[in-house]
Amino acid sequence: MRAPLDAKVWLEGMAGCGKTTVGLSRVIGLLERGAPADSILIFVPQRSMALPYIAALRGRQAYRGGQVWLQTIGSLSLRMVEMFWFLVAAEAGFKRPRELPNFLSLELVQYFMTRAIEPLVDERDYFASVRIDRPRLYSQIVDNMNKAALVGFPISEIGSRLKAALANGVEQAHIYDDAQTCAMAFREYCLARNLLDFSLQLEVFRDYVWATPQARAYLRGRCKHLIVDGVEEDNPASHLFLSDLLETCESALIIYDRDAGFRRFLGADPASARRLRDSCELKATLDETLVMGAQVTALGAQLAAQLGASVAGEGDVDPRPALIAEAQRYHPEMVDWVARQVDMLVNERDASPNDIVILAPFLSDALRFGLADGLARLGIPVRSHRPSRALRDEPAARTLLTLARLAHPRWALPPTDFDVVFALMTAIKDLDLVRAKLLTEMLYRQGRLLPFSEVRSTAMQARVTFDLGERYDRLASWLNRYLEDERSDAIDIFFRRLFGGLLSRAGFGFYADVDASNTAQNLVDSARGFRWSLDFMRRYEADIDLGLDYVNMVDRGVIANFYLRDWIADAEEGVLIAPAYTFLLNNRPVDYQFWLNIGSEGWSRRLYQPLTHPYVLSRGWTAGRMWTDDDEQHLSRETLGRLLLALTRRCRKAVYLGYSELSESGYEGRGLLLETIQALLRRYARAGQHV
Amino acid sequence: MSLSADFAFTQGSLQDYADCARRFELRFIKRLRYPALETQEPLQFEKRTRQGVRFHKLVQQHLHGVPAEALTASLADDGELAGWWATYLARGLTGLPAARYPEITLQTQLAGRRLVAKYDLLALAPGGAAVIVDWKTGARAPSKAYLSGRMQTVVYRYVLAQAGAHLYAGESIPPERIQMDYVFVAAGGARLSLNYSAAQMGEDEALLSGMIAAIERADAFALTDDVRRCRFCSYRSLCDRGAPGQLEEFDLDEYENEDEEEALSLDFDQIAEIEF
Ligand code: SF4
Repeated sequence: MRAPLDAKVWLEGMAGCGKTTVGLSRVIGLLERGAPADSILIFVPQRSMALPYIAALRGRQAYRGGQVWLQTIGSLSLRMVEMFWFLVAAEAGFKRPRELPNFLSLELVQYFMTRAIEPLVDERDYFASVRIDRPRLYSQIVDNMNKAALVGFPISEIGSRLKAALANGVEQAHIYDDAQTCAMAFREYCLARNLLDFSLQLEVFRDYVWATPQARAYLRGRCKHLIVDGVEEDNPASHLFLSDLLETCESALIIYDRDAGFRRFLGADPASARRLRDSCELKATLDETLVMGAQVTALGAQLAAQLGASVAGEGDVDPRPALIAEAQRYHPEMVDWVARQVDMLVNERDASPNDIVILAPFLSDALRFGLADGLARLGIPVRSHRPSRALRDEPAARTLLTLARLAHPRWALPPTDFDVVFALMTAIKDLDLVRAKLLTEMLYRQGRLLPFSEVRSTAMQARVTFDLGERYDRLASWLNRYLEDERSDAIDIFFRRLFGGLLSRAGFGFYADVDASNTAQNLVDSARGFRWSLDFMRRYEADIDLGLDYVNMVDRGVIANFYLRDWIADAEEGVLIAPAYTFLLNNRPVDYQFWLNIGSEGWSRRLYQPLTHPYVLSRGWTAGRMWTDDDEQHLSRETLGRLLLALTRRCRKAVYLGYSELSESGYEGRGLLLETIQALLRRYARAGQHV
Repeated sequence: MSLSADFAFTQGSLQDYADCARRFELRFIKRLRYPALETQEPLQFEKRTRQGVRFHKLVQQHLHGVPAEALTASLADDGELAGWWATYLARGLTGLPAARYPEITLQTQLAGRRLVAKYDLLALAPGGAAVIVDWKTGARAPSKAYLSGRMQTVVYRYVLAQAGAHLYAGESIPPERIQMDYVFVAAGGARLSLNYSAAQMGEDEALLSGMIAAIERADAFALTDDVRRCRFCSYRSLCDRGAPGQLEEFDLDEYENEDEEEALSLDFDQIAEIEF
């Protein structure tokens, strides 16, 4: 805290020692000393890590002037490539350097990847032996390309690196060769059409934009004071950029968490981060926890030690009072138990819901819903962090997509009866399942909705009610009019017309409904982004039916598969339900943690990703070495050890363990976390017997 | 429900409040995004707004050192935009002070809230003139009286006077030195300059803090009585205020979407959370 504000400082330590607090006070100190806010750059690996900074800056009443810059390597490279595009496009190999670049969102990368390589994959029977679906396959090719850019090797080396370390047979070698061919084909496709996926955006920034005097003058002129938090979670591309910036900035604070580096998947590289230490004239360490109680400290240290890590801390303290567990037979019983424990903490021990988190390695919809519902019934507010939202699974989006199919018979994609029932229920306020089914059975014929007057039986009409029948009629005639007028609006315009013209009016399902309207807006945004990119593509390729292509891609799970915006608007108060790593990257300690599904392998095991590998494609990997089963086991133990340390260092009072003998899917789980905890408890039980 | 603790006022949100309190409530308190069409000619409308965005980007690139020829060469596909661009090159920067800050955001505090202004261009000569430049791409230049009453004029001048010292050799900028230039590139580069004064600044402060206080106090947000304001509002179906208006009646320069930034850059951040 006392380090001079004009020095370059390296600050390291474990989580929970107040490193971010130091960062915050440095930003405030700089502002108070009169440094212009827009000369301060806060650089983080992921936006969520900057939340404490945003909150602190927004809360400062006395601050006037420009705005502090907050960037990730993704946001910065996008901004810079867009700004200096015309200086570098030709040199970077784009075939149409006088035309605008087209930056691709994740969903559009998936789409264009499919377009670019699917013919190749089909024709040459690539990946025939790999049993995962195509979207996931393609996302691993994208992932390989991102890693090459983040780590700093050419994409042409992806296949050879993977083969050298992982291929134990001809079949496996072929798979990596195919992955390489696809990456090159996609890159060619992008260069020919001015498309930039993340990997290309980063390469263009690193190799071309950053070399121009204009870009250097711009960034160096602006970034006088650098605050980097979570540098160990960032990647070598960021580190290279930061080391360059460190040469010219007037002051810096680089914050490094010794036991972290969780984002391996995104090229997080603590060893590469550590090299920035040499560019700082002052080095400081913070190792005294401001967060954990002694028993939680001991719990983290002893669990990690059990997994082979050497961690200093509270070896002689019995951690069991900080570890609360109760085994259940079935998963729903565990969910109930968790809700009751949270209720007890809030209502009997005065814990704030904001200081409780419920964590699992993955969160299924069912688990999330079960917890949220259980807590809501007890009157406890909940917030949930799941940025990857399947837009197509949202009722409002499904309804719009079904109605789009009804209005576009030329697509030859008539919706199923089930989809029509669902769409009617969502679109018409107060229409229940029974009546929606009746209407569908009586009036959905050959892909069209017939008018309500086609119901001949007055008893049936009365059963549906005339009021609902009248609203059904308005919907059916809106669609039929659209169809008869032979309109061919762009699909996003169609959604907007239908939304504004009918669904958002009184008596219909989207009227004054914040969630449904926001979902509709997200769908419109997604479809419009798609149209804009494809409009642009029409210069290069034959005509395509945008609407049909969009709906097809949604069906295949290629687009509208995730959407971020709601993440930002998520509730700010309540018990947080989140995947464990998401919580870690939010950079905020709590009083109580619940670890659920502790029998799950997911706590320690990597996702199954046959086409990529976070370690083999990292900077520290030794060329020529083979990745072995021992490596995999060692990695599991190390990953879990780090994770448990990181979690306990963000926990003040106690950890509750949610365990059911049978998992959500009905299997008995015996994962490494369960094993480790049992071993710890057995050790204490034995020691107790000897006393 | 009320405004979130860290809500920042901008000219856009205040103009919404001035036009219709209900619109302010729906957009900023209820955070209701409502994707109804703004006009009856959505694609035309979209084309014009995208042209406007592209024009602003061109200027920004130019002011950050990308040569004009490279930018001009990129406009072969859009004669109209090329015309605006030529106007900018011929007259856009004439007579402006040398220290130029394109696309800069300043903020100050007022009535316990942040007040934020995002400028197209600030051109300053410490000790001398401080010019705010705002590029307009609409076909018509409105009257001076109309522009003087817009919240953009009120907020931009006030925030610069309050928060521009670091761009002005550390001295507060005297209101009399501040000038706001609206430049209409689609109307031959017509420039409409609005001066400022300490007295005007006092009035503006009273107006702005009064509005902020009224918003904080309000427990009901009335629908506007002037139904003409509803013609291009996306909440029409919610308020039962008729069909979308005709594009030719719409002033595109009034349409600014302040919250569509950074969607892409956020996008990559989410990968991490999906894949763990
Ligand atoms: S439709 Fe009219 S009344 Fe309703 S929010 Fe918009 S401007 Fe206000």
